[in-house]
Amino acid sequence: MKRFLQQRNLGIFAVVVALFAIFSAIEPLFATAANIERILRGIGILFVLAIGQMMVVATRNIDLSIGSTLGMSAMALAIVAKDHPSTPLIVLVLIALAVGTLAGVLNGVLVAIADVPAIIATLGTLAVYRGLVFTISDSGTVEAQFIPQAVKRLAVTPMRSMSWLVITGLIIAAIAWLVTQRTLTGRRLFAVGSNPEAAQARGLPVTGITIGVFAAMGALAGVAGVLYVGQYGTVNASSVGIGFELTAITAVVVGGTNIFGGSGSVVGTVLGCLVIGLLDNGLKVLRVDSFWQQAAEGAIILVAVVADTLVRRRQDLRRALTRRSGVAWTPAS
Amino acid sequence: MDAGVVTSSAPVSVSVTPPRHASRAVAGRLDGLRGVLPAACVIVIALVLGARSSPYFLDPGALLLHTGRYVEIGLLALALTIVIINGDIDLSVASNVAVSAAVLAIAHRAGAPIALSCALAVLTGLVLGLVNGVLVAVVGLPSLVATLGTLAAYRGISEILLGSDYIGDFPDSFAEVDRVMLFGTSAEWPIPLPLVVLLLTAAAFGFLLQRTNFGLRCLLTGSNSAATRFSGISIWRVRVQAFALSGMMAGAAAVLIASRLSSVSAGIATGMELPAITVVVLGGTSIFGGRGSILGTVVALFAVMAVREALAINNVQGETQDAVIGLILIASILVPRTVTRLRSRLVRGRVHT
Repeated sequence: MKRFLQQRNLGIFAVVVALFAIFSAIEPLFATAANIERILRGIGILFVLAIGQMMVVATRNIDLSIGSTLGMSAMALAIVAKDHPSTPLIVLVLIALAVGTLAGVLNGVLVAIADVPAIIATLGTLAVYRGLVFTISDSGTVEAQFIPQAVKRLAVTPMRSMSWLVITGLIIAAIAWLVTQRTLTGRRLFAVGSNPEAAQARGLPVTGITIGVFAAMGALAGVAGVLYVGQYGTVNASSVGIGFELTAITAVVVGGTNIFGGSGSVVGTVLGCLVIGLLDNGLKVLRVDSFWQQAAEGAIILVAVVADTLVRRRQDLRRALTRRSGVAWTPAS
Repeated sequence: MDAGVVTSSAPVSVSVTPPRHASRAVAGRLDGLRGVLPAACVIVIALVLGARSSPYFLDPGALLLHTGRYVEIGLLALALTIVIINGDIDLSVASNVAVSAAVLAIAHRAGAPIALSCALAVLTGLVLGLVNGVLVAVVGLPSLVATLGTLAAYRGISEILLGSDYIGDFPDSFAEVDRVMLFGTSAEWPIPLPLVVLLLTAAAFGFLLQRTNFGLRCLLTGSNSAATRFSGISIWRVRVQAFALSGMMAGAAAVLIASRLSSVSAGIATGMELPAITVVVLGGTSIFGGRGSILGTVVALFAVMAVREALAINNVQGETQDAVIGLILIASILVPRTVTRLRSRLVRGRVHT
């Protein structure tokens, strides 16, 4: 199983290398340190969201509300910063985290306790949380002058040529890799996703795990909210985090995670984010008309998932053939 | 098992060789009717609250006048009902609307007669729907993933086709079809033409789902795809057909939206898939397939409309309206489930005492 996963990641890794090679062959400016840093900075927020989404999808759920959750925590942070300019950075970050976690817990309770299908529950909270963003901000914008320098510095200050935006993403990826690959909780995520009934029968705390994974997703959306304020320096109710859920799900799917749960890897998801980031930046550097970018993104998703499905089907076929030959062999002996 | 016998008897009539789980599908049809209840309650509550806040709210003329923009969502939702009953989902409908509208506008700009442009739009929608169907049912991608991909790809195609252009100046006979009233503008009950289109389409879809083999096959596919396949029904064909219908309705919605706005741009109908899915689910169709009704979808569409109109007359903003609809969506699943759970607990309690 593990080798299978690694083999699958190899495919996406090849795509990343190929995209990088093609873009840098056409445009030498692409492979410069400054541009690579720009690519990483561009996908910093996506990184955080996609890793959370991967864990949610691994439990056979989905969270469509993350764009709005990000919006809520970013807006909460910005409003507190505006009304109380002397608030220390750590408190602002904690506020964003708390708002995100609360939103995530509510999603988890709706799914795990109230038994509402995740896609419907989070489709509902997508709208509800967006409504809250408008309510708390009075349908407005918190302009750049009210955002404290400490927050803005998160995105721009290079720390050994890497901004906090990138570092946060990497730290979270490392933690998520440890959790999913090296802890019991991580194994349980996949157990719940691959067969919820069996997990329940086996005595796993399915309800707790589900609420926990949604809470973690919410907290990560809170982190992404902080990064958003840092990167854009201003928060507008009608644009903050809009559509981020779809890009995050795209990165997860391109990263080889089965949308029906039970599988998924942090490495694959990180590579999935890189594919999106490389494509986005590469087409810009090559000065491809921006109208082609959306189509290119759609095409790459389709190519990635079709390839993934074909590989999986071949694996299934091989497994089926082995099984059949085993059956044929047994009575003869 | 002789597969030839089964396949040849299937198209004649399903009642000749009823699959073993046919009774479940029939029960599914009745269940679908029960699913209408939450949306119907929402309509009544919204109308009562609206009437309380303004004496002008219940003016049928004004209410009917505002149906225009809901009709497009309704057309998408009707076909989505079938897709979701099959156990699939189509997230690409709004992007499909954008491509179809772009084709309509470009054909018009190139000098094609408007009727031909409209036909091309519907055809475009149909073809894009077929592409979805092939990706899902033939290639075997999960519909959520495949249509998430085509959501981006189709939007991209509309951006490539139109760039940053706004194409307008449609002939007067085509523009603003939502202002065309069935009995004339001065009638006491001015019925907008798009509403008539919606109701006729809904009737056709209702017939399709309730009275044809195709409808039964959809319900069977959604309730147990493996058993359905083993009873000789080619489920891939049913699923492709449903996606094709969804695409065609996107094409039709594109015609109406282009006419209503009298202008087409690449960003047209962005995000329209979410309200359409909301309407389907609010109408009692199970997101896991196998259960649902067209009547539910129509009632839910009017419920969403009634809620929005009642909120609008109280000066509630669009995003807050969305939030209320989101709450209603969650409640429409939550409340019936809680009631069932409480009832079963009560019954159990009575047995014990």
